[in-house]
Amino acid sequence: MRQDAFTLDVRDEASVEVLGLFGPSGSGKTSLLEAIAGIRTPDRGEIRIGERTLFSSAHRINLPARERRIGYVPQDALLFPHLSARGNIEYGARGGDCGSVANILHLDGLLDRRVTTLSGGEKQRVAIARALMTQPSMLLLDEPLAGVDRDRRDVILPYILRIRRELQVPLIYVTHDRLELASIADRTLVLSDGKIVASEPAASAAALD
Amino acid sequence: MSAETWAIARFTVLMATLATLLVLPPAIAVGWVLARKAFPGKALFETLVSLPLVLPPVASGLLLLWLFGRRSPVGQALDAAGIEIIFTWKAVVIAMMVISFPLVARSVRAGIEQVDRRYEQIAATLGAGPFRILRTVTLPLAARGIAAGGVLGFSRALGEFGATIMIAGAIPGQTRTLAVGIYTLVEVGREDDAWVLLAISALLAFGAIYLSNRLLDRRGAL
Amino acid sequence: MNRCSHPATGPVTKTVQWLSLGITVFAAFVTPVAAQPPGLVVSVAASVSDALEEIAGLYRAATGVTVALNVGGSNTLARQINEGAKAGLFLSADDIQMNLVEKAGRIVPGTRTRLLTNELVVVAPVTASSFTLSQLMEGRVRRLAMGEPAAVPAGVYGRLWLEHERAWSRVESKVVPFPTVRAVLAAVEAGRVDAGIVYRTDALSARVRVIARVAAADHRYLDITYPVAVIRGPSEAEARRFLQFLQGPAARTVFETRGFGTLQ
Repeated sequence: MRQDAFTLDVRDEASVEVLGLFGPSGSGKTSLLEAIAGIRTPDRGEIRIGERTLFSSAHRINLPARERRIGYVPQDALLFPHLSARGNIEYGARGGDCGSVANILHLDGLLDRRVTTLSGGEKQRVAIARALMTQPSMLLLDEPLAGVDRDRRDVILPYILRIRRELQVPLIYVTHDRLELASIADRTLVLSDGKIVASEPAASAAALD
Repeated sequence: MSAETWAIARFTVLMATLATLLVLPPAIAVGWVLARKAFPGKALFETLVSLPLVLPPVASGLLLLWLFGRRSPVGQALDAAGIEIIFTWKAVVIAMMVISFPLVARSVRAGIEQVDRRYEQIAATLGAGPFRILRTVTLPLAARGIAAGGVLGFSRALGEFGATIMIAGAIPGQTRTLAVGIYTLVEVGREDDAWVLLAISALLAFGAIYLSNRLLDRRGAL
Repeated sequence: MNRCSHPATGPVTKTVQWLSLGITVFAAFVTPVAAQPPGLVVSVAASVSDALEEIAGLYRAATGVTVALNVGGSNTLARQINEGAKAGLFLSADDIQMNLVEKAGRIVPGTRTRLLTNELVVVAPVTASSFTLSQLMEGRVRRLAMGEPAAVPAGVYGRLWLEHERAWSRVESKVVPFPTVRAVLAAVEAGRVDAGIVYRTDALSARVRVIARVAAADHRYLDITYPVAVIRGPSEAEARRFLQFLQGPAARTVFETRGFGTLQ
């Protein structure tokens, strides 16, 4: 990773439930999420969540992705094409309640459809549900509204807010859209060229350039 | 088509099917390793795997003859256990397996390389271990390529001659496959019967290639 | 989404590739120099090929002419000649195959003659456990190697003999057919089969032992003789000269030392 080493320490943000990650394309937002999820291994640095160290180059710690309990929703949803919506959602389920998650995201009618027949917004919701079913300690959302029509975006956003409210899962929310940021983030990190250049409460994010 | 010809055709298809089924698990394992793993000596490993593809089949047959004969430890162990390989239908299956193995492994490799690694990564974030990912994500998504490999291996096995005649011989009713049958019938002057076997071989070959192409074609629609 | 198709090959693989290329090119240049055009090609049955090799050596010493041998099962050789193979002389292990060639009009008339006689024997590997002839007749060996019983002379004779002894039906399923009697001998020597039917002249090998001898005197119906004939073609004259040499005293000595019977 071209990033400078930095320590992403979410412990202090425990009271913060949605951490926004803001920056233009190419600034390393997706790479950062991938590193947190365990898909990508950084050259140097540390990643800690609460008391858990997920990665530490100094101490040679690198927890594999499957043990990190971090839900990852990539930019293009990446639903398994050979499974139905239900198959995708139940893939990593830890005996959780498929019903309530499907309910919150209004997926009940879609469950048995093949994922190739879903719209962009529907795919995103299924992908979110899939990640939630693993009962993660944190959810990473990479530009979840990027593949959704402008006019549908206001429909999807409430779902994400519901997750925060009803399931109490901390989110890291990546976007390059300031308006989204304003509606959803409690706190924002700004990325530029692989470096964090600012850490702001969302209120002043609109003033960023 | 005489009873003898029908019997030869049926025997060959049966042996080729068995050989393909038996060769698929190791070919999938090797294909997966070649597609997804890097390790020192990988190029050498690849060459070894491809060996039966470039060696003349009779040469592979000679190696097998030594391996299962009395002068090798494997042959002696089998002898002691009372297991006969040379000049039996088992030798037919083994010859077919060895010759078709590189073809199937290479097809499996190509099929798996086509699977977007990101699916496997996502599955890992969802808590799946490597074996579960292989079973529930990689292989299902590579299924068409693997199936095409199986069909290719099957058609190669159907036509296998050099190695077969070395370790299985041309025993009528016991180890005479279509290809071996054609050769033997010409040798004893029964060319008309040989042409019948040729026609059957051609039909089976056409069918197999057609099926293989259909499997590979529709992959773009996924 | 494009991927590179192959990773770069390592140094070991590259070396082997260059080496193979070099060897192939070298061989292509060397081979034409090494091969000498033969004066005469003789298609000869496998069972008598060793004797012919020795005689060809004597012939070259005497006349300077190189005789090349095309060795195989007589049925294969006959088929090749009928399809136009450029042999000057054909020495077959039975009359049936020679008849096929004669019927196709490929022989120079008046040159066909009987040259040698032979006998069948049953052999077993020296290293294997023994069996008796009666056990063989009852089909109580696991595998019996023979020339292809439908066409290779040694196999045809073998089947004739077993049918005469009313043992063929019991033995048939144990038979492993081979394209030449030399291949039968090799199989017995290597222990890949329990028994084999070869000629008495083949049983001189140290790695087989004779279980039984099918004496010609007791089995006149077999009449194992080797006919020889000149084949139509450009080497006719040379072939006639070699045929004369085969019937001469030097060749006779070679044949008889190896166990063949000679006719005149």
